[in-house]
Amino acid sequence: MARMKFLCDADRCIECNGCVTACKNTNEVPWGVNRRRVVTLNDGLPGEKSISVACMHCTDAPCAAVCPVDCFYTTNDGIVLHDKDLCIGCGYCFYACPFGAPQFPRTEAFGVRGKMDKCTFCAGGPGEDGSEDEFTKYGANRIAGGKLPACAEMCATKALLAGDADMVADIYRERVMRRGGRPQTWGWSQAYGEG
Amino acid sequence: MRLKMALMVLAGLSTMLLGACYESSEVNRYEPGVYKGQQDPLVSKLESDDELREKLNNRFDGQRDR
Repeated sequence: MARMKFLCDADRCIECNGCVTACKNTNEVPWGVNRRRVVTLNDGLPGEKSISVACMHCTDAPCAAVCPVDCFYTTNDGIVLHDKDLCIGCGYCFYACPFGAPQFPRTEAFGVRGKMDKCTFCAGGPGEDGSEDEFTKYGANRIAGGKLPACAEMCATKALLAGDADMVADIYRERVMRRGGRPQTWGWSQAYGEG
Repeated sequence: MRLKMALMVLAGLSTMLLGACYESSEVNRYEPGVYKGQQDPLVSKLESDDELREKLNNRFDGQRDR
């Protein structure tokens, strides 16, 4: 059993948005919905950093905790998925998510949002694997075919890693060792400066 | 006599109509925090399919730098 996670190496991300395009293309995500996006800190300044953000498939997912209709489930590999047939589009998950991952396809009068849509780690959703119904609702099911999420596999610089957390951490550890020094991507100096 | 019959029929119909409005006092109780949706076959597939697991592991490992 694995513990599926994404990790974006901010020292490698070049803000090409290839992951965003790969996600949109693979899952045929509708206009206005961004399952994945690239966020840049200190854009245009020396030392700017970019990271690719989507659903982080939290171990104790706050979206699932607040869902009034309990439409979320977590696979044994830690992929957080949801059933669109149950979703009522209330938006609680959007308020609860610290990454802004839940997306809603519609913005209409009286706050009508439509069913929530989010990154599925390219694992589709409930229903028959690889079926047309599954694709229409949730997008591609690459995991069932033994493939990783399209965003990670398309990343030109291998900044975005996806897979078993132990393996992803091991790859990142190797990189840091080769670069020398401690990773300061999310470290103290990155957050608070040198002071 | 006719009026009496009509009243009786009316009373019978009213009883039937009111009876149809009966609502069971039994309520559906759902456990909070328990997934209620359709089952995902991928969950069991990931647990039992060793070939799929092997494929995925190879892909994970393929992310290492050359």
